[in-house]
Amino acid sequence: MKEVKILYLYPDMLELYGDYGNIQVLKYRMEKRGIACVVDSYSIGDAKPDFSSYDIVFAGGGADNEQSILAEDLLQYKEEMKVAVQKGVFFLLICGAYQLFGKYYKGVEGNVIPGLEVFPYYTEAIGDRKKRCIGNIVLEVALKKEQPTKVIGFENHGGQTFGSVSPFGKVLFGNGNSFGDKQEGFFMGNVIATYLHGPLLSKNPEVADYIIEYCLERKYGETIALQALDDRFEQKCREQMLQRLLKSKK
Amino acid sequence: MNVVYMILLKCINVVLKLFGKQGGNIIGKIAMKLNPNMLAYFKINCPVIAVTATNGKTSTNNCIGYTLETAGYRVISNKEGNNMETGILSTLIKHASLTGKIKADYITFEVDESYVPQVFKTIPLDTLVVLDFFRDQLDRNGEVETLILKMNTFLKTYQGNLVLNGDDPNVARLGKANPDNKNVYYYRVQKYAHATNGMYEVGEGKFCPFCKTRLEYAYYQYSHIGKFSCPKCHYGEYPIYKEATNIQLKEKTFEVEGITYHIQDNSIYTIYNYVAVLSVMNLYHIDTEDIIKAFSQFALNNGRLESITIHGVPTIINLAKNPTGANVSLRLVKEDDEEKELLFVLNDNVADGRDVSWIWDINFDALAEHKVSRIITAGTRPYDIAIRMKTAGFDSQKIIPCEQLEQAVQELYQTNVKKYVIANYTALQPTRHAILGKKG
Repeated sequence: MKEVKILYLYPDMLELYGDYGNIQVLKYRMEKRGIACVVDSYSIGDAKPDFSSYDIVFAGGGADNEQSILAEDLLQYKEEMKVAVQKGVFFLLICGAYQLFGKYYKGVEGNVIPGLEVFPYYTEAIGDRKKRCIGNIVLEVALKKEQPTKVIGFENHGGQTFGSVSPFGKVLFGNGNSFGDKQEGFFMGNVIATYLHGPLLSKNPEVADYIIEYCLERKYGETIALQALDDRFEQKCREQMLQRLLKSKK
Repeated sequence: MNVVYMILLKCINVVLKLFGKQGGNIIGKIAMKLNPNMLAYFKINCPVIAVTATNGKTSTNNCIGYTLETAGYRVISNKEGNNMETGILSTLIKHASLTGKIKADYITFEVDESYVPQVFKTIPLDTLVVLDFFRDQLDRNGEVETLILKMNTFLKTYQGNLVLNGDDPNVARLGKANPDNKNVYYYRVQKYAHATNGMYEVGEGKFCPFCKTRLEYAYYQYSHIGKFSCPKCHYGEYPIYKEATNIQLKEKTFEVEGITYHIQDNSIYTIYNYVAVLSVMNLYHIDTEDIIKAFSQFALNNGRLESITIHGVPTIINLAKNPTGANVSLRLVKEDDEEKELLFVLNDNVADGRDVSWIWDINFDALAEHKVSRIITAGTRPYDIAIRMKTAGFDSQKIIPCEQLEQAVQELYQTNVKKYVIANYTALQPTRHAILGKKG
């Protein structure tokens, strides 16, 4: 039986927007296909994990307070994270975690929280605390070179991210990395870093399957053709949302 | 000038009534336009009691009013739940004389969590009850911590009675906001049969607000509500004013200080609300006999744990506008041994919060094991909730998403199995009416 191992970072702190649902979706889609899915977690006070021994590292968004507490803890693993990314471990980073893996986060008062510097982008809070990019968002994403797909989610962030050299997607509806940006997130073959909640994978089974396929091919060195699943609800959900959002724009 | 405004506002109220409209916030909105300081116009000579929380405001405020009325007092209250500044203003305008005099023995308000400082800057507050703080519509309200800090700042100079849930670490911390206030009262509920050792549903405030140490729990009742304490600074160890013991949900009874109270509903979270009400009643020396009588009769019947029968099929309707609201509703479903079917109505209108990610914070585990045989989903986001339930392990063949509410209700009553209906904010009343409409 094939197996995929997921490391969930700070589950008790980065858990504000239901992002854990991404792991539930991955697990569901693997188990339906007879693939075992093991989820381990790491939080402050736990023994240091061997990041490179995992297939997927996942982290979500949290409250400001929690995020500043854990940023310090996370920094001690700077080098290990870089190595794991280079080795091809898949990183799925949502919202706060997306920011933390960049160069730095500059707060409203000008205070700088240093990032892991694994990726080249950086984030700056907007001066007005009340101004946030909030709302449904639709992206056009090309996961592989083939036909692009639409990705649906919900963004809710005050931070404005700049310098994402290879964005996750082109914004069709919503803001993106900063107010009125045309780009969203950061992407390379084994990294999806994005502001999209929803949770991201719940409405975008293609993205979930891309991650699963990537992990299996990397781990077992063979071409994987994933068995199709019953995605009626997902398809209807996407139809309804795309109709509503992309139509309302015109 | 204010007298002229009052005449005008009261006339508008009469006109609204003629057209069968409740008014809600409208009168207050107009009043604020005419005079932004209108709240200061009223002459209040009786105690003002306010209830605030994320969940349970309407039920608790109504229960306070009902108990005081049972004891023979004249009460003015925003019973319908218009709990922002404009709603409170509307209530006062409707009940005041043209010169702003208010004839009542008590005024009780439910107040939106974020409006407490604004409203009670002007109106004298005698007792404030704080029930709980949970994550709630993050895209509208922001993080819970911001709300708590705002409340804390307001309480720094507050000297009145402060009735706090001693089992919610986010609420109990407010008791330290003003060290000079000697009128802080904590209530608590003893461990009930379905309490757990670990956190079963999503919760807030895992760390001590004073020293940032991880809090320790003897048990969790639901979400982060339970017996907690800080191993380092001993936050959580304070004298308890009222404690509910011997919680019997099936029999619908609990005890406080050896007296048994019968109630109309059977949920752990409502027991907390009753103990809050009881604490307030004791502060005003209301007769125990009147409290016992009021509690045994009180039922809100507006979709908050409302029990109805549709062509012989027992149906329970409950509002759930955030993860904890939904989680406590599902606790009821799981604690019920009978077979049942579920209708979940999820809207994403502005008042609901446009982000539906929160449904992933609802614990839908093991529904089939708890004899849920079928699930219907509806609202503006029927598929999101269907995906959520499917991913939690419920057989997708037994999940029926419906885009039309009428169609969903029709589908629901195809069988005679007991029904549980959970609906979020703007979905609640349309759902309730669609179901009551079936009664014919």
